[in-house]
Amino acid sequence: MPTQPGTLSADYKAGGGKLWRVRMTVSADAPPLIQTIELTGDFFMHPEEAIEDLERLLTGVLLDETALRARVEAFFAGEVQVVGADVDDVVAALLKAA
Amino acid sequence: MAQQEWRLLLTGDMRAFDNMALDEAILRCVAAGTSPATLRFYGWNPSAVSIGYFQGIEQEADLDVCREKGVDVIRRLTGGGAVFHAHDGEITYSLAVKDDYPGIPKKVLDSYTLLCGGLIAGFRRLGLDAEFEPINDILVKGKKISGNAQTRRFGGILQHGTLLCDVNPPLMFSLLKVPNEKIRDKLIQGVAERVTSIRREVGTVDKDAVIQAMVAGFTEILDIHLSPGTASAAEWALAGRIKEERYANPTWNFKR
Repeated sequence: MPTQPGTLSADYKAGGGKLWRVRMTVSADAPPLIQTIELTGDFFMHPEEAIEDLERLLTGVLLDETALRARVEAFFAGEVQVVGADVDDVVAALLKAA
Repeated sequence: MAQQEWRLLLTGDMRAFDNMALDEAILRCVAAGTSPATLRFYGWNPSAVSIGYFQGIEQEADLDVCREKGVDVIRRLTGGGAVFHAHDGEITYSLAVKDDYPGIPKKVLDSYTLLCGGLIAGFRRLGLDAEFEPINDILVKGKKISGNAQTRRFGGILQHGTLLCDVNPPLMFSLLKVPNEKIRDKLIQGVAERVTSIRREVGTVDKDAVIQAMVAGFTEILDIHLSPGTASAAEWALAGRIKEERYANPTWNFKR
């Protein structure tokens, strides 16, 4: 649900019980492009700095399930361990904000 | 395999930024091989709120109330949730090993199971029927008594966590943000139902006895020998630098 024009946010509880909070700014296009994004929450990711890679991967991407899923899958395929959430959880968190 | 020699550190109560900086300094020195594998127990003075690596500080902590009550607020090196570390209400432990330490699973979830096993053995020595609750909790009678968090970096593994001695939900929820005021009472009630403490389960809290039980638990589960030691001069010096760079630095604490 938009909190102000161009800003979207959502809280999503992943299957493992961990909370993912999404905040993003999006363009006025249809579908919109993600301009900035911040992912916060009580999850675990190793190495931790990979969260910035994920945010970078999602920046400039269409807010659309196919486009988001491709980026999130690419991220999970790398050298990262996300504990308590899978690709579906992260995509669901992003779409909940849309 | 020969029994591994570990160091036991009891560092007492310190400021939040000193506690977190010392945990990181120990991790770096253990990873580098200049310090032995280490199990540390400590407390917090003043009480503190720590938030997980990925959390937004203003989303989690009511910074005005924390300031009024003299409660430190810091961002941890580890993920997970916000924790209220009451000065009198908990014992915190940290454990640091090299990441190629024999028998430690490469999968983080599996390594929680192993390392939390030391605590579970400790709780059992206190007469409590504790069990591991994935991802990172320990329960007694279905209620949380310990939360744990892990990071792997610099070539080492650091796991730290809390052993709840006493809980004060109204105080906790005055320091932590709640989604809205209407559910504050419900959350406070929820803690009473979901969280327990050593005082509630045992009747009394003898912190030294708890630590001794945990030491025995880790000794048994990891097949190690723990010798009391002290943090090295190199570790304290490194902790001082890390404190300035990270835990006493708003750039770190407010980065999310």
